[in-house]
Amino acid sequence: MEDKRTTPNEDISTLLKKAGEGDRHAFRDIVSLHQQKVFLLAYSILRNREDALDVVQETFMRLYQKLDTYEKDRNFQAWLLQIAKNLSIDYYRKHYSRRRGMETDKSIEELPLAAEDHASNPESSELRHVISRNLERLGERQRLIFVMKHFNGLEYREIAQVLGISVGTVKSLHFKAVRNLKHWLSPQLGMQP
Amino acid sequence: MSERDRENIRRHIETCPACAAEVRDLERLLESADSMGQNMKAALAGIDWDAQAEKIVSAVWNEKVRPQVEPRRERVWLFGPRLKPVLAGLLLGIMVGAAAMFITYRSGVLEKPPAEAFFASNEFLGRIDQEIARRETLDYLEKSQYVLLELAQTQTESGDCRLTEAAARETRELLGKKRYLNPHLEKARMSNAKAICDQIELLFYELAQVSENLTPAQCRGIQNMIEEKNILLKIKLLKKELQESEV
Repeated sequence: MEDKRTTPNEDISTLLKKAGEGDRHAFRDIVSLHQQKVFLLAYSILRNREDALDVVQETFMRLYQKLDTYEKDRNFQAWLLQIAKNLSIDYYRKHYSRRRGMETDKSIEELPLAAEDHASNPESSELRHVISRNLERLGERQRLIFVMKHFNGLEYREIAQVLGISVGTVKSLHFKAVRNLKHWLSPQLGMQP
Repeated sequence: MSERDRENIRRHIETCPACAAEVRDLERLLESADSMGQNMKAALAGIDWDAQAEKIVSAVWNEKVRPQVEPRRERVWLFGPRLKPVLAGLLLGIMVGAAAMFITYRSGVLEKPPAEAFFASNEFLGRIDQEIARRETLDYLEKSQYVLLELAQTQTESGDCRLTEAAARETRELLGKKRYLNPHLEKARMSNAKAICDQIELLFYELAQVSENLTPAQCRGIQNMIEEKNILLKIKLLKKELQESEV
């Protein structure tokens, strides 16, 4: 196939169009640009690195199948993350009903966070550790919104598009997530209850 | 929230130690969450994302989840395996249809009933035969009467008895017509009319036997026969009877 390497700053619509025409490099650029965000979202739901990577691959396969249906005016990232969220939930329902008990303890600690934390403040490290453990206790939507907001760096508007709910609902659920976490963390970290 | 409300809250927090502590805790929590996200992203750098991207693209291309080129058109063979169920269904349909047609044909449902226009009872047909015989007989009697009257009136003062050429031709034609009339009279059971017609036929037969120039003796013989047998009277009476018996 003809080499049609694209530039990194190329507009996403152009990349999508080229990918739809069979440009492998354009599709690879799309994957490179968004795979980590997809991974973080999948990981926030599945809490397992390998499963999250599987979902990332499945998400881009699904994206490729749906390229023709993409509407230009739509927020691409929100659309992609919506696909990732749906696939993650499907994956969770399909595989985790049997091994949920085995995996819950591994959660986010599977990621090599500890190595990165050595250089940081021990108090902050402890707080992050406690937060990660208590994320499990949040409801699914609260956890998703919290992760998308703070881990993926999405705006409220983008989160609303991914979840298909209003911005007001996203803000409300985010506030509840923060309030719950603070309530659970207060005794451990000497915060006000 | 309006700017004025924000300002009011800010002022309250500055003067309220409890609220200030609450805000500090929340800020600490959210900063930790944000830094956690940053740390996670940093940790994700441990994954070879270039290789991961290539793996994903290869998987997409290898599995051909979406056809890139115009899809190959599968040839549809008439007797190919994909069409076998269709052909089997078609064959079964033909067999069932043929059997149904055969059964229907045998039952006689398809046979057309005789059209009413062609239906006629025996009585009706008999009346038709009778009417045909009646008309033919009337015509025969009419013409016979004409010939016989001419014969009766041809006697001259010198005693010559001549039959005109037209009368002689008519006599021959009436002999032929009588042969045609016989089966009609028998079929219509008109025995009386047949008897009279037979006598007339006999006369015409006699006439046909002699030449056109009858001798006075022959002429008188025939005239006597007409008179003795009252042929003309019988013709007249029969005609009247037949005319009155018109169907």
